[in-house]
Amino acid sequence: MERLLGLSRAIDGLSRRTGIIANWFVLLATLVCAFDALLRYSLSTIIWIDKWLSASGGNLTWLLDFYRNNSNSLRDLQLVLFTGMVMLGASWTLKVNEHVRVDLVYGSVSDRRRIWIDLSGAILFLMPMCIVLMYFSWPWFLESWTGNELSQNAGGLPRWPVKVFMPLGFALIMLQGFSEIIKCVAALTTGYRREHGYEKPVQ
Amino acid sequence: MIDFITNNMAPLMFAGLILFMLYGYPAAFSLAAVGLFFGIIGIELGLIQPDFLGNLVFQLESITRNDLLLAIPFFTLMGAVLERCGLAEDLLEGFGQLFGGVRGGLSYAVILVGAVLGAITGTVAASVIAMGLISLPIMLRYGYNVRHATGVVAASGTITQLIPPSLVLVVLADQMGVDVGSMYRGALGPSIVQVLLFMAWVLLLSIIRPQHVPALPPEARTLRGWPLVRRCIKGMVPSLALIFIVLGTIFTGIATATEAGAMGVLGAFVLAWLNGRLTRALVYQGMQTTMRITAMVIFILIGARIFSLVFQGVGGKEWIESFLVALPGGQVGFLIFVNIFVFIIAFFLDFFEIAFIIVPLLVPAAEALGINLVWFGVLLGANMQTSFMHPPFGFALFYLRGIAPPGVKSSDIYWGAIPWVVLQVMLVAILIFWPGLVTSFLDAEIIVDPNFELIVPGSEGGDLSAPPLIDLSQPPPLTTN
Repeated sequence: MERLLGLSRAIDGLSRRTGIIANWFVLLATLVCAFDALLRYSLSTIIWIDKWLSASGGNLTWLLDFYRNNSNSLRDLQLVLFTGMVMLGASWTLKVNEHVRVDLVYGSVSDRRRIWIDLSGAILFLMPMCIVLMYFSWPWFLESWTGNELSQNAGGLPRWPVKVFMPLGFALIMLQGFSEIIKCVAALTTGYRREHGYEKPVQ
Repeated sequence: MIDFITNNMAPLMFAGLILFMLYGYPAAFSLAAVGLFFGIIGIELGLIQPDFLGNLVFQLESITRNDLLLAIPFFTLMGAVLERCGLAEDLLEGFGQLFGGVRGGLSYAVILVGAVLGAITGTVAASVIAMGLISLPIMLRYGYNVRHATGVVAASGTITQLIPPSLVLVVLADQMGVDVGSMYRGALGPSIVQVLLFMAWVLLLSIIRPQHVPALPPEARTLRGWPLVRRCIKGMVPSLALIFIVLGTIFTGIATATEAGAMGVLGAFVLAWLNGRLTRALVYQGMQTTMRITAMVIFILIGARIFSLVFQGVGGKEWIESFLVALPGGQVGFLIFVNIFVFIIAFFLDFFEIAFIIVPLLVPAAEALGINLVWFGVLLGANMQTSFMHPPFGFALFYLRGIAPPGVKSSDIYWGAIPWVVLQVMLVAILIFWPGLVTSFLDAEIIVDPNFELIVPGSEGGDLSAPPLIDLSQPPPLTTN
């Protein structure tokens, strides 16, 4: 049991790290989107300044070119970051018990019952879902990767960075689910106490 | 037995949904499990093709392509930053001092500040927590009735759900396939009516129960004249600026809801910085909350997509639609039934669960009955506001419980919520019988093309295939210098 709990701690550590990456993706996505929008709002001003500058020899064409060449990449990048924050963050969200539940029953039963609900749910609900979704999303990603699929937006990024997060994320959640199963079993058989009580997530 | 199952697969699956959800495992995974479980049964019985589940990747694909879903993290982050940037304090102090001398003045202040905060951000938690922390102790100190005080704070926090740019409306617009801008425009009238309803209730209370909503004594109103004006300006100017950044850009068609959300985050950062509260801890905490909520919500969406894919496969859509269209009373009958249903189910399900599971089942029937989807969406949005308010599971009450002074009993918070839930139900009724309140704002619609492409004049020269603009068949005009 001790060794299994050690494994569980290692998995939790992995989820914590991917969770931190996901946290930063939130800020990055915001900045990318705001930058993209700001650049677009100010295009007419930039063109105006460009005209004005060209009289004195300077120009801002590089900025306009940058926009022209990269606006769709910026848009695609947001989607990559978005998918990443969800798929890398979901396992940590599971670890800290913040996936919302219908707590009509769960809220009113004893602690031991809750452990049983979590244990059976992880085995019967979580694991099959992750396996099925990995089974379907892995070839989907591979196809995109080997076929070098491009974004539908002209000049955008390749599609595979979005798709790779899917099988990866489901694998991470499955691992985290396994870690939760270990903790549940340990809590039922030994004196182990699970640390995260359930609270409805803030929204 | 097998025949019975084959013929009643859809109702059985719906019953399965209720059972699995009640079990209490996180909703996202329970939903997926219902879908997969019945998918396997369906394949065994030959109701759906074995490769049908392969359509799952198209569901995933559509989620990863949806720009609108990005609005969820942006609006959440904005709310998380605004909650602690000091804006609510400025607003509440200014308004509180302004209206304090009137009976119920603090309640008016809370309602108005709730509306202003609602027009800036889209999350209930931010408003309720900020207002509860500041107003509740003051209201209690000056003798406001506990139940009234907690009720008004919780209710004013939920106004956020209806006033654009609300996250609820974004998600509903996405689920119904209508444009977010129209949804926001349609919600303007109802949110004004709601604020008026709330204020009318406070007015009524100040007449029939003046002891519940006393006026502040003169010594409590320290600000007068210019300092008071300055205090109000200090709260209102940044608020109006943020409202313009977010709502103004959406309504004028400059930005999509998603971009407006990202700009709003920047605005919130600037405001926090001006108030000296932009710390690394604040930003990181905001990011962390946002990541968890986004992951949670999108996983519910993934689970719901798995469920509805299989549900459609076994004929569930037709079953629900035939059942809903056959309701007596046509449009009004349908709307009354649906609203009662949603009102009840909101006791058990989270807003996002309703939006992702229930709403897609209702939309085809609403379309078949010729109901304007924007009207329907705003109606559901107004209805789901109550899910934040009704005891014992309402989120707003839950947050309030977390921050209320120790003397406030849970039962006070629950009882205090009831009049406001009644007011919200009244709003729903008004909307059912007076659709003009929503639709009349839609007429002046500016059509925003989501695929708006801006063509930058290039440096590569003009189009040589077209004839020159100067008419060469005519001699050039003579000019004399």
